[in-house]
Amino acid sequence: MPSIFQYEFMLRALAGGALVGVLAPTLGTFVVLRRYSLIADTLAHVALMGVAIGFATRFLPSLTALAAAVLGAIAVEQLRARGRLPGDAALAVVLYGSLAIAIVVISAAGGFNVDLFSFLFGSILSVSPLDLWLLVGLTVVVIIFVAAFYVDLAQLAFDEELAKVSGVRTDYLNLVLAVLTGATITLSMRVVGVLLIGALLVIPVLTGLRTARGLRMAMAIAVATGLLSAGAGLTIAFYGDYSAGGAIVITALVLLLLSRIWSGLKDWVAAIRRQGD
Amino acid sequence: MTEIDSPGAVEWDRVNFAYDAIPAVEDVSLRICRGELAAILGPNGSGKSTLIKLALGLLRPDSGHVRLFGRETGEFKDWGRVGYMPQVGSGAWRDFPATASEIVANGARSRFSPLAVFGRSEREEVMAALEVVGMTAFRSRRLSELSVGQQQRVLLARALVRDPELLVLDEPAAGVDVAGEERLYAVLRDLNRDRGMTIVIVSHDIGAMLREATTVACLNCKLVRHGPPHDLTRDELSTLYGVPVDVLIHDERHEFESVLQPHR
Repeated sequence: MPSIFQYEFMLRALAGGALVGVLAPTLGTFVVLRRYSLIADTLAHVALMGVAIGFATRFLPSLTALAAAVLGAIAVEQLRARGRLPGDAALAVVLYGSLAIAIVVISAAGGFNVDLFSFLFGSILSVSPLDLWLLVGLTVVVIIFVAAFYVDLAQLAFDEELAKVSGVRTDYLNLVLAVLTGATITLSMRVVGVLLIGALLVIPVLTGLRTARGLRMAMAIAVATGLLSAGAGLTIAFYGDYSAGGAIVITALVLLLLSRIWSGLKDWVAAIRRQGD
Repeated sequence: MTEIDSPGAVEWDRVNFAYDAIPAVEDVSLRICRGELAAILGPNGSGKSTLIKLALGLLRPDSGHVRLFGRETGEFKDWGRVGYMPQVGSGAWRDFPATASEIVANGARSRFSPLAVFGRSEREEVMAALEVVGMTAFRSRRLSELSVGQQQRVLLARALVRDPELLVLDEPAAGVDVAGEERLYAVLRDLNRDRGMTIVIVSHDIGAMLREATTVACLNCKLVRHGPPHDLTRDELSTLYGVPVDVLIHDERHEFESVLQPHR
């Protein structure tokens, strides 16, 4: 048996990575198509604020982070829906606001420590059995949600006004999507880290979008890419002793690059064939 | 008001709407009856699209009432009776991976289904709607692989797939060539005459609207005029647009030239 499977922490990390690899691109497909990619990074920083508050109050940081991210998701969605600020500006306000609070709270509580770094950059050592069970639960919820509301979500992603006129309750759907995104980001933090979790919601999705024929296929490619990135990235991190989050995101980027080269080659061959005719 | 009183398909009742402090629609009262093919004409910024968005409940009026089939739009739930085709911007869906048949199929259903993700997209009603707009051959193309005119036809099929009683179109012929335009109006004519579908079109295309519509509303924030197209004079149009408007219509069905002549 390869040494990677001999450590319990590594099996937990791989299982966690696989779940994140499914979760993040599934929700990410709708986030990216709604041109709302920055929400992932914003909610990650809100979650970081929750982590900081958890450390400062000696409460479980995972739970304070989850609470912060869910509340942050609701706040961001309300700001966007009310149209008081443009979507990206609303996100920027929440992102920098929560990051500033996080830094102040951390400095007041005695500065950075190893545990905090594991939240920032992700660590294969830090995935606890509780984190894993929370991830399993969330994955089940997200899969049921997406499978059941797929048509509504597809309409929402295509054109929000058109979806509304078709009778889709876009207000509820947006809110649930934001809350699930917040929860996904928080629970994925231990594996990938606050700074990079946004990448996992966006990059595997981009791999699917240009090449797939059909939205479902795009989502399937995104999930496959996410799984592959998590598996390969964690393996590289284990043997090379690198940051898990960094290795996962770099793998995802390489896959995106390969997919672009592949589709570029296909277009090129098609163009040459057309010239030959 | 109940259904028995036969309310209009769409009704704006002393409606005012402003974006921040800039009024877009001022005191508009307009009723579009069932079975009409109504055109809303007006220059840029005259509130045409705003009027449509108010009718579809996408905007709430600052004052006044907007009703769909006799119900306030805020309380209207029966969206299966309404088909909407928005304006198509070029390049808007460059990266959207859905195929033409997926787009149309998603428009067909909004009821909850626990296994919606596994629903087939090439079903009978989807194919029928694509057939009406002549896009069957392009059904498995990605939307991004279609021209603007073809994308517009897919969106029209999407609006038609639920067989709505009311069809609302915002600039349906923008960016479409002459042949495409003629095909579009032929489809709309058939839907209006044969199926009795009520159609509301917002358009810049004065000539086509005067030819095709059964009733024309001229808007310039306020409702300038509302009535059958053959009563509309060249002077009224010129006043509406602020420049001399010459409409030449060589069409045996309405003979606008002769109608317009006496008003010179």
